[in-house]
Amino acid sequence: MSYISISNLSKRFVRRGQWTEALSSVDLNIAKGSFVSFIGPSGCGKSTLLRIIGGLMKAEEGGIKVGGRSPQEMQADKQFGFVPQAPALFPWRTVLQNMNLPREVNKRSRTDLAEDEADPIELLQAVGLGDFLHAYPKELSGGMRQRVGIVRAFASGAPILLMDEPFSALDEITREVLMHQLVRIWEQHKKTVIFVTHNIQEAVYLSDQVVIMSSRPGRISRVVDIDLPRPRGEKIIESPEFYQYVVRLRESLRERWEA
Amino acid sequence: MNPSIPKSGSVQASQAKQPAATRIKLPEDRFDSRLKRTGFNLLPPLLTFVLIFVLWEALIWLLDIKLVILPAPSGIFGELFGEFSFYLPHIWLTFYEAVLGFMLGMAAALLLGVLMSQSRLLERALLPVAVMANVTPIVAIAPLFIIWFGFGALPKVLISAICAFFPMLINSITGFRAIDDNNHEYLKSLHASRFEIFLKLRLPNSLPFILSAARTCMSMSVIGAVVGEMSGASKGLGNVIMVSSNYMQMERTFAAIFLLAIMGIGLTSLVRLAERKLLHWHSAE
Repeated sequence: MSYISISNLSKRFVRRGQWTEALSSVDLNIAKGSFVSFIGPSGCGKSTLLRIIGGLMKAEEGGIKVGGRSPQEMQADKQFGFVPQAPALFPWRTVLQNMNLPREVNKRSRTDLAEDEADPIELLQAVGLGDFLHAYPKELSGGMRQRVGIVRAFASGAPILLMDEPFSALDEITREVLMHQLVRIWEQHKKTVIFVTHNIQEAVYLSDQVVIMSSRPGRISRVVDIDLPRPRGEKIIESPEFYQYVVRLRESLRERWEA
Repeated sequence: MNPSIPKSGSVQASQAKQPAATRIKLPEDRFDSRLKRTGFNLLPPLLTFVLIFVLWEALIWLLDIKLVILPAPSGIFGELFGEFSFYLPHIWLTFYEAVLGFMLGMAAALLLGVLMSQSRLLERALLPVAVMANVTPIVAIAPLFIIWFGFGALPKVLISAICAFFPMLINSITGFRAIDDNNHEYLKSLHASRFEIFLKLRLPNSLPFILSAARTCMSMSVIGAVVGEMSGASKGLGNVIMVSSNYMQMERTFAAIFLLAIMGIGLTSLVRLAERKLLHWHSAE
């Protein structure tokens, strides 16, 4: 049964006075509790698709249902945990106060999320930020800030997490650490995650499914199921199966690129 | 028997804590060094002032400059401290007018800033009026206010408020608008209302802008108060300067000028203090 169902979805933008097709007849079904990555060259509309799912943008054509409702209804009910590219931490709030932000706004909507809320302090400790509960964002490194952004989404109780290239601004070493931490938290909490990235290994390591997109116009070119065992440890990365998936993804991305 | 006599074990423990004991002294050291640093920061400008006054005094003595042209610092300070009770009510009145004008101007500017930052239409309609009020020399409008509102404190407060108004308006609009797109989109993803976005994001975001404007506005409002007093008043430091310079009482004129300078420094330092207290999270602090 699909939790997020997208059918024949199209989205256009006006760019330099001309209509540009950002997304063209996209069809996709996402199961509840799965980790789905969107990968593709820049301009393939993967971030746009994420924003349409989250009710931050509207599509001109086609249908989208999230949990049987419209994205806007879901958003009004605070069903989304959004993790933008740069961690949206408010500089005048401490780490813990930033964690509480989702609870402070749009209070009326809160229906059944309270019981799904995770303890923010526990989550922060799990990613090694136990000593920084009362620190201000300017006192944290880029990786630490992004970690706060990610665990905030998990703590909020929202069943769907939307992550828009959360690791793209980080250095390689930090990225790898965060990747492992993300997979560990996710395997505990089992949220539905939409994860936009342009890093192939990241996509394979984290996901149940990888959606490969191509640009101009943005469309889905292939969906690859990743049948690697869970829980995924660091050893998986060194396994031949992992490597095969990486090669397959790289090839299908290149096909599209050259076509 | 004294129960606090330590056993051999706890002696060792307290010896082991020796480094911790030295660490406990650290805050005191820090306070000391902070005092030293403050002193160190104050020393250079203080020396500059002393040097200026010594040079000034020497020049007057060497070139035999007459009192009606330029009084000696010694005479000015003599007048200031000798007749301090004369200055006190004037200081108080100018201070009162400037601070009240500052608060009035700031409140009006913030209120309009909130409205104008929320509506481009309102901004387009009202900003030209504000710009016109800003570019018109305040000295030109001041006599009108005296005619309309009399010789009391009210016209001075209003003139001072007008002086403080514009920098605060422009800066607050900028502060309310210059929010981080990521943060804005994040709040939208939670379906935050417009009011919540203002309260949680725009308002705190504008604080550095507002406080930096407040420093400018503070000195502007002192200027406004003095201009008002010069346009027609019977009290206040502006009035003291007018009257004493008419009577060639140069020491008094200079004493009043010094007092205004000190008031300006005091008031802007107060804003600076607020900045330091409120903006500890800000990267520029």
